Amino acid sequence: MAAQAHRPAGTPWRYIVLGCFTVAASLFIIAPLAIVVLNSFNNVAYTVFPPQEFSTRWYANLFQQDIFYAAAWRSIVLATLSTAIALVIGVMAAYALVRYRLPAPNLIKAFLLSPIVLPKIVLGVALFMFFVRVRLIDNYSSLLVTHVLVILPFVIALVSASLANFDWTLQEAAMDLGAGPVRTFFRVILPQISLSVAIAGVLAFITSFDQVETTIFMVRTGSNTLPVEVFLYLQKWQDPTIAALSTLLILFAIALLLLISVMVRGRKLPFIPQRAGEATP
Amino acid sequence: MSATLSAPVPAARRIRRRWLSPLLLLLPTLLVMAYAFIAPLATFFEYSFYRFRRGRLEQVFTLDTYSRFLFDDYYHLIIYDTLRMAALVTVLSLVIGYPLAYALHRITRPSIQRFLGLLIFTPILVSVVVRSYGWIILLSDQGPVNWLLLRLGIIAEPVALVFNLFGVVISLTHVFLPFVVFPIFTSLQRIEPELKEAAEDLGAGWWTTFRRVTFPLSLPGVVAGAQISFTLALGAFVTPAMLGGGRVFVLPLQVYNATSEINWPVAAVGGMVLLIISTIAVAGFNRALKYSEVR
Repeated sequence: MAAQAHRPAGTPWRYIVLGCFTVAASLFIIAPLAIVVLNSFNNVAYTVFPPQEFSTRWYANLFQQDIFYAAAWRSIVLATLSTAIALVIGVMAAYALVRYRLPAPNLIKAFLLSPIVLPKIVLGVALFMFFVRVRLIDNYSSLLVTHVLVILPFVIALVSASLANFDWTLQEAAMDLGAGPVRTFFRVILPQISLSVAIAGVLAFITSFDQVETTIFMVRTGSNTLPVEVFLYLQKWQDPTIAALSTLLILFAIALLLLISVMVRGRKLPFIPQRAGEATP
Repeated sequence: MSATLSAPVPAARRIRRRWLSPLLLLLPTLLVMAYAFIAPLATFFEYSFYRFRRGRLEQVFTLDTYSRFLFDDYYHLIIYDTLRMAALVTVLSLVIGYPLAYALHRITRPSIQRFLGLLIFTPILVSVVVRSYGWIILLSDQGPVNWLLLRLGIIAEPVALVFNLFGVVISLTHVFLPFVVFPIFTSLQRIEPELKEAAEDLGAGWWTTFRRVTFPLSLPGVVAGAQISFTLALGAFVTPAMLGGGRVFVLPLQVYNATSEINWPVAAVGGMVLLIISTIAVAGFNRALKYSEVR
């Protein structure tokens, strides 16, 4: 709050300029999402602004298209399964990274996080070539392990950041009182890092749900995930059916956002930077 | 602590346990990495040394595909277009991202700061396909941007804003903006307020304070943001595919097309070139990061 003491009484013009810029940038951020929602109620099949007439016919059309329904279901199942697996093995790996003295810990961590850095299209094509070679291309396990690989780094990064801030005397106290390592983990450590694990889970789910490049070669017509189905549909048609579907996806994102904000209410996140010099209670 | 209180464990067993537990904990992750990361990349690397001729894959070790790639103007143009697109996206996302991060840093009312933060980071939750589709509508001939420009009399007839480089750059900037704002915001938050106060007490105006104190101290964030947006833009596939209209033919699209045309060696070489460019870019930015922290 030290900055406020130096602020003059009248708002200087530079703050007005910054304020206007911020509003414009906010519009820039919101616009592509808002226009999708608006266009989903547009009566005609082509884009026209401002819309002449409103209708819900594209929603009716969407609900008649079984391919999107099936693809959405497939994506939800895949994202749920891969998130569950990645959370379990990712928390284990993060625990090992933070709690044990490993040889070259930074190198191991960099290696475990490296799938994030790799261009996704390279990863997707490499996985495709590999699974074709081992003749597992049409196997569900290939798709599942691909998604686990893509979301694991997010889980490991977030959970190890949270574990690094953990007060380990608690663990020692529990162990001294006779709790075994597994019981200590579930009763003492996990409740403390549950918020980060939950956020990692939400992020992992979204990331899996959003995969195009890594998945597009792995699926066939009739077994597409939702983003791949939408991507391929948009290559051919651009009617507002996709806008209606996208609106539902945006609502889904807003629901997730509300979920996260309820979870973090009044709690401090280990990875959100605080202002320097501000007292941390 | 626990070791001093509990009964002494034989030394050999203790050493084995010290290695065994972390290894067992890391094992599932390492297995996934070996199976779905190392092995596929090795396969990919292997295919880059094969050759595709007359519609057939020839599994012989050769550098033909590499040399074709490196000495063909067609591929030079793809590499140049990729680099140009990534550079434009990086510059634009810094130009929009820096003031936004600064505003987020300067807003002192927690409710507004929270709102702006949510606004900036919410788009991450929405699929890139959906966001790119939104930009197609926004920038289309009959879309809102052209409508506004026509109404304001800036243009006489709709201009092509999408299915070209412009549309791709705008849309990618939108996608990467949160990843640029976050590191800049972090480095701004780390600056001790006393430094600014000292500069102002010594008679520096706000511009001098910003130019000589705040901006140099926030440079690590700027470099980190540029690194993220440049490397992500190099590998971007969905947005150039959707908004490029075939005019923005970047390396990820080349890799995708070659794979679809079962020309795997060319796909693999394209991917290797992309990897090499990314690695050089990451190393270069890391170097810049070190330099920016020293000052």
